Amino acid sequence: MSNSTPFPKSSVGALETNKVLRNTYSLLAMTMLFSAAMAGLSMFLNIPHGVAFACSLVAIGLVWFVLPRVEESSMGILVVFAFTGLLGVGLGPMLQSYLSLANGPTLVATAMGGTGVIFLALSAYVLTTKKDFSFMGGFLMVGLIVVFGAAILNIFLSIPALSLAVSSGIILVMSGLILFDTSRIINGGETNYVRATVSLFLNIYNIFTSLLHILGIMDE
Amino acid sequence: MDMPMWMKITSALVMGYFIVRMIPTAKDWLKNGPKGTSKEWLTTSMLLGGVVLFVAFLIVLVRSS
Repeated sequence: MSNSTPFPKSSVGALETNKVLRNTYSLLAMTMLFSAAMAGLSMFLNIPHGVAFACSLVAIGLVWFVLPRVEESSMGILVVFAFTGLLGVGLGPMLQSYLSLANGPTLVATAMGGTGVIFLALSAYVLTTKKDFSFMGGFLMVGLIVVFGAAILNIFLSIPALSLAVSSGIILVMSGLILFDTSRIINGGETNYVRATVSLFLNIYNIFTSLLHILGIMDE
Repeated sequence: MDMPMWMKITSALVMGYFIVRMIPTAKDWLKNGPKGTSKEWLTTSMLLGGVVLFVAFLIVLVRSS
């Protein structure tokens, strides 16, 4: 979720909105493909967990500290590709460990398809109804804080039930964020397609990893 | 797979930093952000309920395969 233009009031023309939407989905599609390719490369090269973890940290650093400075320029696009590519590399070892399970390929394919269906269905709903979901902002931010707080606890406690609850919470919050972010684009609250792409990419990425985690636990 | 301790501590620090960054923004949204009507919340609940049902369906699908 970006922290720009906090409370949107539609002052942007329909033409501008369509342009932002089109650019966002084009960049999102390209970065998804790039990230998937980097995840494939990461698995092929058998990158160690430590390196993958470091790549994910660098990706987070890019979004927090570099992107806000360059998001209005063409450098922003380069940073988005670097960010999504690094997250793809970070995903490699996790995918590898799931794929090595007996039912692994089914789990990964189901999580991938499921994420696609959730994203497309929620986006299609917002795009067709053009409803404004900005009222969810406070609720979603509190949801994120609660889920991340529980995730920190579970890093050290490693309780399977809490882990399942955190993943479920992430899926719900990220689904809400898809509604929120998409409605911000079509209602003029988000006018920067680089920022919009990063938000939607993170929503999809988190739904995919959490869904894979839930399916992995429930399959055991 | 169990994470090494340095990864656990780093993950916790990153998430903790994220929470610290989010708190003022969340407070601002709660105080000044637009408020939804009960109808809007009902629609949202139904959509998120649909996601929950879909995930439950995927779990059944995976377990039966």
